Amino acid sequence: MLDTLRPVTTPELIELQLHPAGLMPRSLAWMIDMAVRMGITMALGVPLSALGRFGGGLLLLVYFLLEWFYPVFFEVLGDGATPGKRSLGLKVLNDDGTPVGWGPSLTRNLLRAADFLPVGYGLGIVSMLLHREFRRLGDIVAGTVVVYRDALGGLPAIANAPALAPEEPLDRMTQRALLAFAERANSLTPARQEELADLVPFLADQGRGQHGAARLIGLANYLVGRRT
Amino acid sequence: MKQEQFEQHNEASWQDFEEWLKWRHKRHAKRPGKDGKKGFAKAPFPSRELPERYRIICLQLALARDRDYTQALVEHLHRLAQLGHDVLYGAQSGFTRRVLQYAAGGFATDVRANAKWVLASALLFFGPMLAAMLAVHLWPDFAYLMLSPEQVAKFESMYGNDSRALGRVARDASTDFHMFGFYVYNNVSIAFRCFAGGLTAGVLTVFYLIYNGLSIGVVAARLGEAGLAENFYSFVVGHSTFELGAIVLSGAAGLKLGAAILAPHRMSRGVALRQAGRSIIGMVCGLAVMLFAAALTEAFWSPLKLGLPIKLTVGGVLCALSLAYFTLAGRRDGT
Repeated sequence: MLDTLRPVTTPELIELQLHPAGLMPRSLAWMIDMAVRMGITMALGVPLSALGRFGGGLLLLVYFLLEWFYPVFFEVLGDGATPGKRSLGLKVLNDDGTPVGWGPSLTRNLLRAADFLPVGYGLGIVSMLLHREFRRLGDIVAGTVVVYRDALGGLPAIANAPALAPEEPLDRMTQRALLAFAERANSLTPARQEELADLVPFLADQGRGQHGAARLIGLANYLVGRRT
Repeated sequence: MKQEQFEQHNEASWQDFEEWLKWRHKRHAKRPGKDGKKGFAKAPFPSRELPERYRIICLQLALARDRDYTQALVEHLHRLAQLGHDVLYGAQSGFTRRVLQYAAGGFATDVRANAKWVLASALLFFGPMLAAMLAVHLWPDFAYLMLSPEQVAKFESMYGNDSRALGRVARDASTDFHMFGFYVYNNVSIAFRCFAGGLTAGVLTVFYLIYNGLSIGVVAARLGEAGLAENFYSFVVGHSTFELGAIVLSGAAGLKLGAAILAPHRMSRGVALRQAGRSIIGMVCGLAVMLFAAALTEAFWSPLKLGLPIKLTVGGVLCALSLAYFTLAGRRDGT
């Protein structure tokens, strides 16, 4: 399929799918992080500047730590995401799907300096646009990938309807299509449901109009095992 | 088994798993110490059951895919498996022990393993430095190719006999600390950029090494010509081992990255870069610590106006200790 998913196989021999995030969400996350960093610098800058040259030295140290180690700190200790990435549902992972440790996180963040060249993340942006998994140079060297991570949600239920046995056995692809339709039906307008049902007259042939979609949902109820 | 039955049968255990993940996240965010307060839900199962429950989820995910259960169920199980995978394989253990072990010998081992890059970097750094010193000696105006007349005058006043401290204009405790902050920020950032510059096929790294070598050589020779050599060496001898050593190491790391791009041998460039990165990131952390130590020395020890013999002895001891560390430490582990 034409998709950017990256499948990784875990030691349990199941396949997990990583969904790499592209340039735009990552830029937005970077901007949020930039704002957070500037906020910290300013919040500390006012009281520290009252301390004279001693405070100035401390501020330089704070600035140094924020510039190089702010992302490392959050990526390793904060579940793989800086505040900016967290707010956009992004997360840094090793490309084998495991959470990043100190080594890879340091590598990708120290190499930010190279991605920044020649100006304004020029190399990083070009690299991300060219790479199949949107990696910047630091990601390539560290072997990391920034992915979407959806929050856990409840299971959408298929609408309850009297189960309807198909007249002849259905093949796998048809079964899948039926289930996918029934699952999504709640989010579709009735007109669109009918439109879709019309595409499979051999299943929805018992009548046009309202019956087509209802019949498909009945078949789906049969397939998930709600038999009376 | 049909999906409806499958869901009814396992729903409770999935919810337990989800609850446990939430519980762990909360505990993680709060950190132990403030535990025991109310509003702190109990874990649905003891943590030691996690691996087993995670494996069951994996099994169920595989079954759900194989049996063509609905996309939503498969995705739900996939998310549970992903989160479980994060917890199980994200466990970081023994951080302090790893750091101590690395400091005790791993760092020196890494530097020896990359000896050819360290040597190349040292040549690119010390070669131009010596050349610049020779050039200034033969033709004093060479200095003005690198520095403006104002800069030369500033350096000469910093190390002049009438300045109250070496290497700077004013001197008191708060200035020392300010300079410390500045040295850390400036020097470590330069070293990191020198390393990262390796990704431009090494061009930027080479430039940093040569440029810094030339500048240091010009300043040293210029001050020597002005008869201020004693003050200058009294200032730099304490921290120069750490500082120059760290610059050379950052150059070595950058050159190795650059070589991975230029000559990846029988690997793809991506794989070559990954291998190079993994083999030098420890060294880069080590050199950052060296620069931190150098900044401490440079800010609080080097400006003291003590006799040159004392300064030379301390500098010599630090240099000898560093050399001993890099040649001897970590040999027992088989390198």
